[in-house]
Amino acid sequence: MLEYAWLIPIFPFVAFLLIALLPKRTLFYEDGWGYAVGGAAGAFALSILVVWDVLMGDTLTGAEAPRTTWLIIGGYEVEFGIWIDQLTALMLVVVSIVGTLVVVYSAGYMHHEGDTRRRYYAEIMLFVSVMYGLVIADNYLQMFIFWELVGLCSYLLIGFWYERPSAASAAKRAFIVTRIGDIMFLAGIIILFKYVGTLDFAGLFEEGGTHAVPTDMMVLATALIFGGAIGKSAQFPLHEWLPDAMEGPTTVSALIHAATMVKAGVYLTARSYPLLVQTPESLLFVAAIGGTTALVAATCALAQNDIKRVLAYSTISQLGYMILGLGAGGYLVIHANSPGGYTAATFHLMNHAFFKALLFLCAGSVIHAVSTNDMRMMGGLRKHMKITSLTMLIGALAIAGVPPLSGFWSKDEVLAAVWHAGEFDSIFFVLWFMGIATAFLTAFYMFRMWFLTFAGEPRSDYHAHESPKTMTVPLIILAGLAVSSGFALFIGDGFKLFMEGSIEELVPGAAVESLGDIAVEIFTDPLTYVSLVMAFAGIFLAYRMYYVPGFDRSRFSSGVAGKLQRALENRWYISKFYDDFAVKVVYGLSLVCDAFDRYVIDGIVNGFAYLGGMTGGAIRKVQDGNVQRYTAVIVVGICLILIFVLYILPWGGW
Amino acid sequence: MIPIEYWLIVSSLLFAVGAYGVLTRRNAIVVLMCIEIMLNAANLNLVVFSSYHTVLHGWADPSGQAFALFSIAIAAAEVAVGLAIILSVYRRYKTIDVDKINVLRW
Repeated sequence: MLEYAWLIPIFPFVAFLLIALLPKRTLFYEDGWGYAVGGAAGAFALSILVVWDVLMGDTLTGAEAPRTTWLIIGGYEVEFGIWIDQLTALMLVVVSIVGTLVVVYSAGYMHHEGDTRRRYYAEIMLFVSVMYGLVIADNYLQMFIFWELVGLCSYLLIGFWYERPSAASAAKRAFIVTRIGDIMFLAGIIILFKYVGTLDFAGLFEEGGTHAVPTDMMVLATALIFGGAIGKSAQFPLHEWLPDAMEGPTTVSALIHAATMVKAGVYLTARSYPLLVQTPESLLFVAAIGGTTALVAATCALAQNDIKRVLAYSTISQLGYMILGLGAGGYLVIHANSPGGYTAATFHLMNHAFFKALLFLCAGSVIHAVSTNDMRMMGGLRKHMKITSLTMLIGALAIAGVPPLSGFWSKDEVLAAVWHAGEFDSIFFVLWFMGIATAFLTAFYMFRMWFLTFAGEPRSDYHAHESPKTMTVPLIILAGLAVSSGFALFIGDGFKLFMEGSIEELVPGAAVESLGDIAVEIFTDPLTYVSLVMAFAGIFLAYRMYYVPGFDRSRFSSGVAGKLQRALENRWYISKFYDDFAVKVVYGLSLVCDAFDRYVIDGIVNGFAYLGGMTGGAIRKVQDGNVQRYTAVIVVGICLILIFVLYILPWGGW
Repeated sequence: MIPIEYWLIVSSLLFAVGAYGVLTRRNAIVVLMCIEIMLNAANLNLVVFSSYHTVLHGWADPSGQAFALFSIAIAAAEVAVGLAIILSVYRRYKTIDVDKINVLRW
């Protein structure tokens, strides 16, 4: 079955072609919704078959995988192939489930968009297709191609309402900022290729596959490849594009900017683990970036009034968690021969995909009902939208880390891994504190959002109604997953042992924990209770401030608290810094380049053209059309030639 | 016998007169006539050198005279064509002043 995995991206791609090319009359329901669901469901079915095979212990990596030659450049053959291991399977699960549900949900959410729905469904299908392609790629070049393609789809879908200037500029911003990461990724790939001569995972990841790379270049290469993840997964300091990307439709935010594309950076980091663990310096960089991102983004989420922006910052923060887990996990692999951090981070990746997609789709349902993103205009929606409010509550509990919902298990695993890594480098204790602070903040802002949206009294004159079934059914399914996906830890051989399979060469003979041990470890570890207390404290604080009437929030609007409040509302002025400083510097540099190009490069080129023109202009006066002048020139010329031949040449000795 | 130099001086003068006329006169017909004078200077040369051949080598070579006859015949045709061109130029521009006929310039 696994060798047919390359067919997975074909289904959505065919759907993309059909939606894009068929006459409008044959698109039927919702301008192509049927085709989109068909494409997504086909890929879903095939993904599940593949995942089932992987669960049965089958993988398809390296030489035995089907490959095809794409390009031959000199002596190097660029090949496309597939690489199916546990990590791929995990991503297939996420992309197929969330992708299919989001497409189904779109029928309701995009209903009012009219003719542009065709473009929407076509672009969504293209995105799903290339996302599968990215996940199953078996070399860095193939991955990079799909990496760029998902970036393109992200750009197209953020700018879906391109007639709104804010959406158009957000799309450009997302594209350009992620491009910075992509350039780093490409530079990392080129370094590896220069020394190793291949980009196949099989060649790079095997024992001693990168021995030709000098140590410092290896550090640079891995750090640069992680740079790709910084851009794509919106890590600090390139994170500001993601909140702006909320200009796109909420379904796009749920699919691309919460569950799948932004996970590509985490996926890349996890995929590059065999390289990363060779360079502790890069791992430390990864962990530091992850921890910083988690905390910075969580603080930014505190003061946002746009429901989607809260979720966007929350996404960045949670991605930071995963990256932090991967960075710490690398230390555990090196020093403790334990895959704990890796499995924790990938576990969080899966759980987060479900509950964050759920939260976004709930937000979409709310926005659909009240036609605004501003939480100050909401309030009291619980009465009108029972299913949405309940499912969103589940999502918020899951992300806050309340047991036994999924977020609790994976967040706890990540924090435990970071704490554990602290034994080998004490910087991880600092990062652990950042993580635990983030956990508190996460619980707080999530419930702030929930209370502001659903609780209390209506704060504006809206006419809310519960969303149609096509929207609520995906919500219910995702809520079910948000509750249950954490139990993957205890199903079968357990999630940890399963994920360990994809990096088993790195941790030979790692201690196998029984499922009972894992459970006991979680519930006897005092750290678990620290994070639990933090989560409940956050929820309680939100409850006290935003639910219980009579709390005077105006005390935060003056003095130091007011300054802090404004800094948070302005997202620590990071965006402003980019606009006011970085953009101006780059703009000044561009002006210099422009002047150089205009006056020096073009000056030389135009100078030659001007010289030719001037010479021609001077000489052409001779051709005045007067026959007698021509004749005179001929006569004088012949005379000169005769004088030359008869007198000058003999005089010279010829 | 008249020495060849005399003939050649006459021929050169004829050529120079013709060339001067071609360069200076503005009436296209006069220019054409001057061209004929130059042509005949060349013809004269051909005939003179032909007769001078006998003096040099002791036997007659008539090819110079034959060329001269050809040249005269061709000159007749050339005059016909030249006059026809001048005629059509006149019809088109109502002038045969060569200074004014300069539409082929840049």
